[in-house]
Amino acid sequence: MEQVSMEATNPNPSSMSGVAAASAAELLCCANARALLDSVDAFLFDCDGVIWKGDKLIDGVPQTLDMLRSKGKKLVFVTNNSTKSRIQYANKFQSLGLSVNQDEIFSSSFAAAMYLKVNQFPPHKKVYVIGGEGIVQELQLAGFTALGGPEDAEKRAQWKSNCLFEHDKYVGAVVVGLDPDINYYKLQYATLCIRENPGCLFIATNRDSVGHMTDLQEWPGAGCMVAAVCGSTEQEPIVVGKPSTFMMDFLLQKFNVSTSRMCMVGDRLDTDILFGQNAGCKTLLVLSGVTTQSTLDDPSNSIKPDYYTNKVSDILSLLGE
Amino acid sequence: MATKAAVSVSVAASITAASSSSSKFVINTPHRFLCLKRLSSFSSFSASALAIKCTSISNCSPNKSARSMEGFTTRTRASAQPLENASELIASVETFIFDCDGVIWKGDKLIDGVPETLDMLRSKGKRLVFVTNNSTKSRKQYGKKFETLGLNVNEEEIFASSFAAAAYLKSINFPKDKKVYVIGEDGILKELELAGFQYLGGPEDGGKKIELKPGFLMEHDKDVGAVVVGFDRYFNYYKVQYGTLCIRENPGCLFIATNRDAVTHLTDAQEWAGQYLISGGGSMVGAICGSTQREPLVVGKPSTFMMDYLANKFGILKSQICMVGDRLDTDILFGQNGGCKTLLVLSGVTSLSMLQSPSNSIQPDFYTNKISDFLSIKAATL
Repeated sequence: MEQVSMEATNPNPSSMSGVAAASAAELLCCANARALLDSVDAFLFDCDGVIWKGDKLIDGVPQTLDMLRSKGKKLVFVTNNSTKSRIQYANKFQSLGLSVNQDEIFSSSFAAAMYLKVNQFPPHKKVYVIGGEGIVQELQLAGFTALGGPEDAEKRAQWKSNCLFEHDKYVGAVVVGLDPDINYYKLQYATLCIRENPGCLFIATNRDSVGHMTDLQEWPGAGCMVAAVCGSTEQEPIVVGKPSTFMMDFLLQKFNVSTSRMCMVGDRLDTDILFGQNAGCKTLLVLSGVTTQSTLDDPSNSIKPDYYTNKVSDILSLLGE
Repeated sequence: MATKAAVSVSVAASITAASSSSSKFVINTPHRFLCLKRLSSFSSFSASALAIKCTSISNCSPNKSARSMEGFTTRTRASAQPLENASELIASVETFIFDCDGVIWKGDKLIDGVPETLDMLRSKGKRLVFVTNNSTKSRKQYGKKFETLGLNVNEEEIFASSFAAAAYLKSINFPKDKKVYVIGEDGILKELELAGFQYLGGPEDGGKKIELKPGFLMEHDKDVGAVVVGFDRYFNYYKVQYGTLCIRENPGCLFIATNRDAVTHLTDAQEWAGQYLISGGGSMVGAICGSTQREPLVVGKPSTFMMDYLANKFGILKSQICMVGDRLDTDILFGQNGGCKTLLVLSGVTSLSMLQSPSNSIQPDFYTNKISDFLSIKAATL
């Protein structure tokens, strides 16, 4: 069976542009599924829209993961959803009956903390968080002082005469992620830190526009909160989540697998698939999340995964296992 | 008078009236509402560059780590000249458009010499118009503010971006059986009501909470045909989702922004006289761009919608207008986009060093300290 050439024309991992694949995405079938399995040592899975939708597992996922493990494949979970820490994700997996270790999980909350660590963020400086508990926990685990987060959900700006909106001058970084408790107070706090604290970093966990925060519909993602802060600071953030390949470095440290022997499985073209392509992995798009067949096929879409299929469990059924 | 190179792209802002059928409202060339803005925020451009690309207002594409640049180009303008012959400028125009904050008042305080200057201009038969991006008040409420400050200004002479949103919907014959979802404050609601449109949202939705639980489905009104987004201190996830659902799922739903000012000074005689920076409408608008991956139609400065509206309403030629403001990327760009003369005053957010900085590429025709400089024959020494 003819195999589609999967060499990236631009293997530069720091490139943010999509790689124009030589041919259209291939529908996963028996033959190419077997070939894919044989050519890959590790599968990287996105979570929302791939493994679960909100708090509901997608059909056939546990059996598929078991099969892959039984064949000696390493499984890694790379999620842009920053609302949980790795430990909290491990708990979620467990509550859904999946046995996944926190070392196998790379969340954008973890990525944000690691970014500050590898860039030697000074311990006396603080981090203001627009986002959930996940970011706050990862920052604390890494030894940093976090302000904001869920704590600021009920705060309101005081619009009184001669009442200044105060902000901590020691904030050296603002981390913005998905925040269903977004409010004006947080936007204003973050804006002042970025605009007025010299050298303050503006870090985004990710920029996904929408996601399946619940099983029944899509909800605004971190891309919304990040764009809000861009709108008032006129600055662009450092993005640590997909499609940035920042997290790949940590994966490579942990797993002794070359990226060409990895397959990224995701439901979003502009994060999951682009991440895989940027890093030189094979890519498989599943249609169980935010992307439909028509979006994939639309002429305006320039991101073509190597393969596509309806859902993760197709791997299992196509292999006839 | 300083000569200036012609703007090589004309952002023609004539509003083409939509088909008169009430069942559809078509926007022609929505790109005309994209602002040529924020040239000054890019430090890699110097004023002497021959071709300066304007930024697109897209700051919401997740693939790009820097803003994308679209194909608008403006040729370099000569540097702004200090205003030395006020009489000549006054004689050469028929209408003065004033921004308010930083030009007429600062907080709840009138800037020195403003009443006398406005009186002088009126006595010379000049038409005066006031255009502000602030959408929190209706024009009527602004009229009261002018009155409180002792200025003789008619409500009909005031154009806030709240009014602009309603006027825009009127100009395209937005159907009365459709609704408008508002992410913004009272001023927008009042203007929509005055224009006879049904609205949902506004400050009242500020108290609504979301619980992201399994089986929870947020419903939205299928009759919403436009979402208007502006400065909103009661901003929350409920509103973002509601607006996002309307824009993504209601066919033909418009996404309208009153303005995209990044930061602003809250200036309200009754509420707060603070002068420091607070996050502006650009933040809320950015949020909706982020979740919908769509760009809005901007009705406030620097979009020329208001300029065209005025020119049409008062029957004036744009070359007969002088725009007076304190912000380069809204007021001055607004004037330039509209083909007017432009005068920057240094009584607001822009300093002389900001104007003259190599990273600034927006050059007004003239600059001066404050508008009362009109009263002297020569400009005051700067």
